[in-house]
Amino acid sequence: MPAVPTILERPQRWDAAFGPDMTDAAADRLLATAPFREMDAEKFPKRTPLRDILRYDTRLLRFRKGEIIVRQGDYGTSAFLILDGTARVVLQPALSPASLGRQAPGKKGLWRTLAQLWNGARPPESFSLEQLIPSSEIGARQDERDVRVFLQDLPRVLDAHRTEQMRAGDFFGEIAALSRMPRTSTIFADSDEAELLEIRWQGLRELMKNDNALRAHINKTYRERALASYLRATPIFQRLDEAQLERVAGAVEFSTFGDYDWSGDYKRLAQSGAVRPEKEPAIVTEGDYPNGIVLLRAGFARVSQKTGGGERTLNYLGAGQIFGLNEITHNWRNPDAPVNFQFSLRAIGYAHLLVAPTRVMEEIVLPSLQKNELPPPVKAKQSFDVDPPETGARENVGAEVLEFLTENRFFNGTAAMVIDLDRCTRCDDCVRACASTHDNNPRFLRHGPGVGRLMIANACMHCADPVCMIGCPTGAIHRESFGGQVVINPATCIGCKSCANNCPYDAIRMVEVRDRTAELMVDQEGKAIVKATKCDLCVGNYGGPACQRACPHGALTRMNLNNLDALTRWLKK
Amino acid sequence: MKRFRRQHFWGLAVLLVATVAALGLDAHFRRALPDYAFLTGWILLGAMLVLTLYNARKKLPFLPIGNSETWLQVHIYLGFFTVLLFLIHLNFRLPHGQFEITLAWLFALVSGSGVAGLILSRVLPRRLATRGGEVIYEKIPALSHALKAEAENVALGAGARSPVIAEFYARRLAGFFSGPQNGWLHLVESRRPLNALIAGLDDLRRTGSDAERAMLEKLTTLVRQKDGLDYHRSLQLTLKLWLFVHIPLTYGLLIFTALHVVLVFGFSGGAR
Repeated sequence: MPAVPTILERPQRWDAAFGPDMTDAAADRLLATAPFREMDAEKFPKRTPLRDILRYDTRLLRFRKGEIIVRQGDYGTSAFLILDGTARVVLQPALSPASLGRQAPGKKGLWRTLAQLWNGARPPESFSLEQLIPSSEIGARQDERDVRVFLQDLPRVLDAHRTEQMRAGDFFGEIAALSRMPRTSTIFADSDEAELLEIRWQGLRELMKNDNALRAHINKTYRERALASYLRATPIFQRLDEAQLERVAGAVEFSTFGDYDWSGDYKRLAQSGAVRPEKEPAIVTEGDYPNGIVLLRAGFARVSQKTGGGERTLNYLGAGQIFGLNEITHNWRNPDAPVNFQFSLRAIGYAHLLVAPTRVMEEIVLPSLQKNELPPPVKAKQSFDVDPPETGARENVGAEVLEFLTENRFFNGTAAMVIDLDRCTRCDDCVRACASTHDNNPRFLRHGPGVGRLMIANACMHCADPVCMIGCPTGAIHRESFGGQVVINPATCIGCKSCANNCPYDAIRMVEVRDRTAELMVDQEGKAIVKATKCDLCVGNYGGPACQRACPHGALTRMNLNNLDALTRWLKK
Repeated sequence: MKRFRRQHFWGLAVLLVATVAALGLDAHFRRALPDYAFLTGWILLGAMLVLTLYNARKKLPFLPIGNSETWLQVHIYLGFFTVLLFLIHLNFRLPHGQFEITLAWLFALVSGSGVAGLILSRVLPRRLATRGGEVIYEKIPALSHALKAEAENVALGAGARSPVIAEFYARRLAGFFSGPQNGWLHLVESRRPLNALIAGLDDLRRTGSDAERAMLEKLTTLVRQKDGLDYHRSLQLTLKLWLFVHIPLTYGLLIFTALHVVLVFGFSGGAR
């Protein structure tokens, strides 16, 4: 008897509204408010009408004076529009880490370092009360839905920092939302009943696509605030003078492929056993005319080449890497024998990229480069066992390892724990060292997925795209200001699990905390206090990660897996 | 030159130079210095203490006092050099007297267990990686127990209904699944017990019904998984156990050495 298929309604984009309490009336009110009232609703496609974008991709938020709206350094996938009241952006100097709910950067002192000799006997996950009291510079309020952190001494903040007021109609956070870069400033509410509209990136992308004025505004902001400095820091543009750089910046186009919420999809697929998500939108297809070089600004992309009936991964690119320079240079030098793109490029998860058009490259950029800075000519058809030169990976780690790293998204790790099983004696010195360094609490599991002799242990990788940081309501999880490690401030962690749920690699654990006598800490209702914990890369310790230093056989390292050269060297040591 | 090869090259080069120098100095000073045995004894004791410090380093991972890997390299090459120092201290003669013989045996056992540990730690990880199926040692009992429960369910459970398989399970597999098996044979890479069990299951498959074949297929998989766990247990246990020989012996050696020093100074005429 043939099996009867289960019938269910096909999931739609707007099954889950961004703001659960957004109503039709609220959407109508927004339609009558600037800048939406100036938008031509007819220009929006039927599948994504303006009203539905406002209804399902936005939410209304109210802030009281002093409440922080966005923090400098946080990652976010939404932009904000002030509807009513005012907000204030902190310009110079930036607010202290304590004011943002973070822990002060710095190493442990001599006494605290030595105290670890006897702290090992402490009960697991135990804290003193002082360790869990947040800085007096901030306070927190909780309503039914959100936790809001506010600045306690607003007059002092205004005195000590240069700030600028923002008013109704002002947009902010759009660059961070569209490019998945950290927020560049802290913004807090400046009036008692500030009403803001938060627009998630999907909605913002649709609005930009269909409204010329908003697109022009964001383009202008992007070019002014982000593009010039980025291009200046990119090696192939470094020989350009200001005028040339301005011309290039004017011609560069930016776009985003894939889905910023890749981690959720990936986690669901990984948990269901279907590890390989097939949603990899093509940025460049092999054989296309090379109409510009692609600069990856954020996210990741897979370089592949057709082979037989399928495609074979050759490499992956991360932020700062370039695709297509070989072909463009070849065609510029050999106009009579042009080549098309030799490889395909697909976004893995998401990729935010800039495209410098061929014309600009040929007229301005390529002539400025020295001969030895130009890539070699492209051969008629490069074999798939040759590394694409634009990746910079000269030695291949092997197709199997490459597939493994790509499928598991390990290239996201800037400090992944890589173990060479050929040398690892399973002595657990690394685990013991981690526990000793963290008051008797190991912060990783010496186990994880592997391929051949390579294992990636279950430890925080301090990702290039730290999705765990998105949505932390108090800023407790943050990047350390010096080294960029992702760390958690236990004093401001409220145990909401947002980071643990977001982490696609299950590297964050929620633990019930205890006092120094091993008794559980509870709140007024008797519920256990829960905190998020994870590897902090021994940020406060001298000498670097204890796990790596404790391995007697050189079998464990913390490594940026976006650098295949380093991995190859390490594996061939 | 690759990193590990460079490490070995420099380690061996330094050991060679130190050995030649030590032998040269020994030949020159043995007769020239009146308290030569005291001098070599103190040097030997110093070297032994430095070797012991490696264990202390392991207990202090949070202090910036060098990588464990570097310490281990020093421990290995200094360990070999200490054997030479020991022989020089003995004047390349066999010890005499009950106490000195015990001390020499302890030294030999500590050195021997160290060399054995070095060989094991270079050979066994590779074998574990080649076999695959990485598993945390502490989880092996729980995983074994789960396999046993699954095998019992297949062979003896409500849906089983095969007296032949039930009998085979009781006779051949119950013991196999009941706990760790074939530890020594795994160490020497013998697959004899596994092959015998698989052959037994294959024999049954030839004459079994379709339902029995499916059960036997499942049992074969479980047997292979259990064998893999036993393999990991055997090799990982060996990697852990050798330290339980090396370290207590080291402490014993240090105690006897301390006594030796006291005795030597108590009867200092005997040290010459």
